[in-house]
Amino acid sequence: MELSRRHILAMGALGATGATLAGCRRGGGNEGGSGEPGASGTLQFTWWGNEVRNANTTEALDAYMEENSGVTVEPQPGEWASYWDRLATQTAGGTAPDIIQMDMAYISEYGQRGALLDLAEYGADTENFIEGTVGSGIIEDTLYGVNAGINTPTVMINPEIFEAAGVDIPDDTTWTWEDWHDIAVAISDSGEAIGSSAIISNDAMFSAWLRQQGKELFVEGNQIGFTVDDARAWFGMQQQWSDDGAIPSASQIEEDSSKPLDQQDFIVGRTAMSMIWSNQLEAVETSGGSERQLLRFPSIDGSAAQRMAWYKASMLWSASATTEDPEGAVALINWWMNSMTAAEIELAERGIPPNGEISAAIRPNLSGAQQRVSEFIEAIEPELADTPIAPPPGGGQFGTIMARHGNDMLFGNASAADAAQQFVDELTAALA
Amino acid sequence: MSAISELSKLGGGRKALTPQERAARRKENGRDNRAGYLFLLPWLVGLFVFTLGPMLASLYLSLTDYALLQPPNFLGLDNWQAMVTDSRLHQSLKVTFIYVFVGVPLQLALALGVAMLLDKGMRGLAFYRSVFYLPSMLGSSVAIALLWRQIFGTTGLVNQILQLLGVEANTGYVSDPDTALWTLILLNVWTFGSPMVIFLAGLRQIPVMYYEASSLDGAGRWRKFTQITMPLLSPIVFFNLVLQIINAFQSFTQAFVVSNGTGGPSDSTLFYTLYLYEQGFTRFNMGYASAMGWLLLLIIATFTAINFFASKYWVFYDD
Repeated sequence: MELSRRHILAMGALGATGATLAGCRRGGGNEGGSGEPGASGTLQFTWWGNEVRNANTTEALDAYMEENSGVTVEPQPGEWASYWDRLATQTAGGTAPDIIQMDMAYISEYGQRGALLDLAEYGADTENFIEGTVGSGIIEDTLYGVNAGINTPTVMINPEIFEAAGVDIPDDTTWTWEDWHDIAVAISDSGEAIGSSAIISNDAMFSAWLRQQGKELFVEGNQIGFTVDDARAWFGMQQQWSDDGAIPSASQIEEDSSKPLDQQDFIVGRTAMSMIWSNQLEAVETSGGSERQLLRFPSIDGSAAQRMAWYKASMLWSASATTEDPEGAVALINWWMNSMTAAEIELAERGIPPNGEISAAIRPNLSGAQQRVSEFIEAIEPELADTPIAPPPGGGQFGTIMARHGNDMLFGNASAADAAQQFVDELTAALA
Repeated sequence: MSAISELSKLGGGRKALTPQERAARRKENGRDNRAGYLFLLPWLVGLFVFTLGPMLASLYLSLTDYALLQPPNFLGLDNWQAMVTDSRLHQSLKVTFIYVFVGVPLQLALALGVAMLLDKGMRGLAFYRSVFYLPSMLGSSVAIALLWRQIFGTTGLVNQILQLLGVEANTGYVSDPDTALWTLILLNVWTFGSPMVIFLAGLRQIPVMYYEASSLDGAGRWRKFTQITMPLLSPIVFFNLVLQIINAFQSFTQAFVVSNGTGGPSDSTLFYTLYLYEQGFTRFNMGYASAMGWLLLLIIATFTAINFFASKYWVFYDD
């Protein structure tokens, strides 16, 4: 009698625990998802951003829910720094959000490991997208993400510093990498500011420079598309920039890289030029308090037609492979990319919309800075080359690895040759 | 006393039993145990579900190539072999060992020094105790680490003061590989408050009469310190030492924030835990990270064992 009572007690307790755990699991997982597309259900929607974007996004989601009664969208905003840890943990635990704001650096990491949905299979609508904007989300014939906004690398300059230093703004259709160096040195010499922020570990600038020599950062088959010699030449060139005072000291570069955008050297006026993505113009001007100018990045031959420019997806919309309502998730992404309602709320906050009709329609609503970006994006269209392929799994580490070895060299702890060799070795190992 | 006797009356048995007899009978029934286990249950569930379970899982994962997004494949000891040749892992061990073996002694020495000053019984002791204790509550917080980055940055407070003094100073101490680790050691030393409070409590336990007697015998300050304070305080020193070494090996937040998660510049602040985190969460090598976790456990266990072994020779229990 005693024994059985104890048994029952223990069983009861365990049962309760089990139920609690099961409850947790269900609560954290994907609820609803009746299977009928666009019917009733709950979609979890996650993104990283800033205050402006969080407000826009929530407003757009509310509008979607109003148009589609029965659909509930649960917003999960985040910060870049912790976003990827959370997403990795959620994905590993089988509780990934249904709709995921994705970055080019991680799309193949998630896509090739089977964590993302093939959006084309569930009716992703990219029909009106400008040429060259759909490709960024396609990896090995699968559409893992839809381009959320067009972005392109630029050299942004601070005209006030140029004026104060008495240096002419270069003609960006004919300037070369050497011109960048010479102009930066001239500005540094004037004492007004340091000529240029460093680009030693900037994957976009390294990529542009490689492409102008017929190479790439990454090629199909999860390989790097350049050699140790290329890396050595790049590091050597940057060492030269450093020796000549075109860029800040190694410790300043290191420090700058760990600062939030609004405190970075170029934004606060400590450097005159910097590589900045086009969609950041407005944020830069708002934080910096003065107007900046977008230049095309230079070429080796001094011709804009040869500079191998590209449209990059500022970010992408992906859906979880484990979503219970794939049609519903894709329907929301389609609405986001192709409806005027969403576009009028979002404008160009995530980059110029890749849907040509939409981007033309909203242009009058854009702020001055965003209009300039939109014009810039349009103007460079004749100079576009193929869009670089997404970094393979492990390739998201590119910038970090390059910065470590490049800065090691600038600190005087390694030769350009050693730094290049170690950089290539470590990157190769990370991809394997 | 009276409460217990009141309680024994409430029991209302057939015949009056002493509390001892009553307890004995209850024990026979096993009712005590059952209630005990029931109250322990939340803790036991926590232990098995959230501690032992994950530990065993990680022991298994350390033998696999678990990539977080895919199911793991069994590899055997490959991860452990990889650790032998991983130069960044060796760098992270080096950084961590310097941090532990320089930072902990400095921190404890400062803690003991300040504790002895405060022990003199000054006015406003409670205030000073709080002031010194405060940093150790904040020390591992993100806010303080951010502040540290500002103070030791290129245009930070330290350089501003140096420039006021006419020194040409424009190096960022947190962003120079020669100094970055030292700023973190300084941050650790600055959080000496929690061992200090423990030292203070220990100092209060030492009977004043020992000092009075030694004064009569003509002992100086140094002699009192080495012959009375240190031996009698040695269990407290030991306790603090073990605790702080374990803490220091596990340091993470400060280096993570100061270096923005990279362990930079040039891996000069690549703490072991930071590298473990990088492997697990940014490189998706969760199997390798699990193996690293177990290595850390082994290292900490070894140092704690050495501490306990060595304590036989220098720790005195006054009983």
